[in-house]
Parts: sequence; structure tokens; C-alpha cells
Amino acid sequence: MSLINEDEALIAAALNGSAYAWEKLVKRYEGKIYNQGLRLTGNPTDAMDLMQEVFLGVYRNLHRFRGDAKFSSWIFRIAHNKAIDLNRRKRLLSNQTSSLDQDEFSGFEALASGEKFEPENRLNKQQQNRRVMKMLAEIPMDQRLIVELKIFQSRTFDEIAQMQDISVNTVKTRLYAALKK
Amino acid sequence: MSCPKTQYLLQEYFSDELAPLTREELDRHLETCEFCNLELESLLFTQSNLQQWQDQRVPHWDRGLALFRQDHRAPKPNAGFWSPWQWIPTAASFAMLCLLLLNVNVVANEAGFSLAFGSQSSTQEVTQELQAQLDSLQASQRDEMQQLVIRMETRQDSNNIRLLQAVMDQSQRITTENFETMYTYFEDQRLTDLQDMRSAYQQLVDSDYETIRSLQQLVNYVGYADVVR
Repeated sequence: MSLINEDEALIAAALNGSAYAWEKLVKRYEGKIYNQGLRLTGNPTDAMDLMQEVFLGVYRNLHRFRGDAKFSSWIFRIAHNKAIDLNRRKRLLSNQTSSLDQDEFSGFEALASGEKFEPENRLNKQQQNRRVMKMLAEIPMDQRLIVELKIFQSRTFDEIAQMQDISVNTVKTRLYAALKK
Repeated sequence: MSCPKTQYLLQEYFSDELAPLTREELDRHLETCEFCNLELESLLFTQSNLQQWQDQRVPHWDRGLALFRQDHRAPKPNAGFWSPWQWIPTAASFAMLCLLLLNVNVVANEAGFSLAFGSQSSTQEVTQELQAQLDSLQASQRDEMQQLVIRMETRQDSNNIRLLQAVMDQSQRITTENFETMYTYFEDQRLTDLQDMRSAYQQLVDSDYETIRSLQQLVNYVGYADVVR
């Protein structure tokens, strides 16, 4: 069975009340959504919150999913919108600019504190990820979203422009600005 | 040193569907423009650093199962008119009615059982047979009951006898013990009395002896007194 058909089968079973199907569907995408959250928010707590909000949104609107698009596209779209909402809420709460502030850097420290007891290969992985998160922390959220969609999710400029409701040129400009930093 | 085309060309560099002409122009320019080359290298370096991201494992969470199960715990709606469970009592009643109206008889014996849709006479025979069986069963039950009662009475009697014997033994033992105690007591008393008597007699003898001595002394004195006179 192809991936798309399997998604549709799981969705149908979940809508029929199968908790097992729902759990399997979540397990398929939670890794990608969580890591996306880590890259966009910069800390594991916010990444977990974001992930839970995404799947709550998926659960509440699962009956509306028509199957005319890929389920993965649909779920990542929800994740993208939730990330924007989360960032907006955080900015309203902390009254800050669009770049990450010191509180979000605490996510790096939380990762670092766990590093002392980790095996070496996992340590290297976490160090690399810390570097990436630090790089992403230096750019504003709108550019971070473009980098996430283009580099980590390999979307086309047209798709990104559609998702963000901006022009293709604006997407290219933001990506260039993000990579230049 | 800078290049006016840098931003435009490098933005196009990352395009998904670059036109062949634009690709050619870009490659040609990069061959000649060192600034753009350096800039591109820097961008690609950043991109490759970003691509070193390795997915982390998701921390444990309930995956929304609590909410899912809560929402799906609602009882199933009524299946409606054609629900099979609704019709089972009606079907059972109908079957019982058929059995009653058709006079169905079920006869069970050692060979097995048989169903009969009987007329009046066979019903009477069955009734008589049943009555006979019932009578014999009752008689056997009565006999058994009587035997049981006899056994109970016998057991009760023997129990009573044993109990009585035990009581008598007990009382005999107690009586013997009492007699012994009484005998011991009286014997002790007798000995004590004897002892008392002896001591009293001794005292009497002693006092008599004293009296006799006193009399003797008196006699002696009187005799002496006479002599002296």
C-alpha cells in the first residue's frame, strides 16, 4: 500500500473511532512536526506545545480533510499556521521584536544540560542541532519560516508563496537575506 | 568590491525551475565575478550547515489518545426498528406459544430424548407414567428419610449414652475425690483430737502428780509437826 493510501486508510479508521489508527497516524508525522517546531521556536517546550496544538487542530478538523491534497501537505500547512500564531502570541506577551530573545535561547541551555550524560554520537547530533538553532535564532521569524519550508521541507518557491500569501520574489528575497546572515 | 547583479543572480540560483538561458547567464557570470562566487560559496556553506540538522526523538506524550477515547466513548446509537436485540424476546415468546399450542412433549429417557406433538390420550399416558414415577420417587424419598431418621436417632442415643457415662465417670471421680478429701479431713481431725486428748491427759496426770506431791509434802509436814510436838 502506498504512503498516501495508507494515510487515507488510517484517517478513515480514525474517523470511525479507531484509537489505534489515530495513534499510528500521529506517530507518522510527530517527528517531523516536532523537529520543525524545534527549528522555528528554538526550545523543546515550545516545540512540544506547537506539536500538540498542531495535532489538536488535525484531530478537530480531520472530518474536513477531503483527500484532494496530500495529507502531509495539509498537516504541514496546519503546522506552519500554528507556528505563526504561536510566534504572534509570544510577541504580544513579551512585547518583543520578531527575532528570538534571551528566553528562547534558554532552549539551547536546556539541550546543553542534558548533553553531559549523553553518548558521544548523540552528543554530536545535539551539538550540530544547537548550531543550527543558533543560526536560525539570528534571523527573524518570517525568514526562518522561508528557510524551514525551502531547505528543510524542500518546497518550491511557488508553494511557499502560496502558503505565506506573498509573491515569489518576496520569498526569494527573504531566503537570500536569511542565508546571507 | 561589489557586484550589482549579486542579489538577483543568487536569488535565482536557488530557483526550482531556472530557465536554461538564465542558468547559462548565471554560470557565465560566476566564472568571471569573484565577488558573486564568494557570496555564493558563503550562501551554500550556510545552507549545508543548516542541512546538518538531525531529527531529534519526540519526547513521550499521549498523542491525544485521552481526548480521542473520551470523544469516542459515547454509547452507540440505537440501531432502530431492525435491531436484532429488539426482536429476540418476541421470537422467544412466539416459540413458547408454538410449543404450547402444538402440545409438544419432550420425553427424556436413557436412550436420549424425543419430541412428540401429542393428542389427548398420549398425554394421559404420559401423565400416568409421570405420576407413577413421581410416586415411586416420593416412596424412595420417604424410605430414605426414615432410614436417615433412624440413623440419626441411633447416633443420638449412643451419643447420649456416652455423654451420660462421661458425666457419671466424672461425677464418680469427683465423689471419690470428695470422699477421700472428707476421709482425710476426718482422719486429720481425729488425730488432732487424739493429740489434744493426750496432751490434756498428760496435763491432768501432771497436775495430779503435783497434787499428790503436795499432799505428800503436807503429810510429811504434818508428820514432822507431830513429832516435834
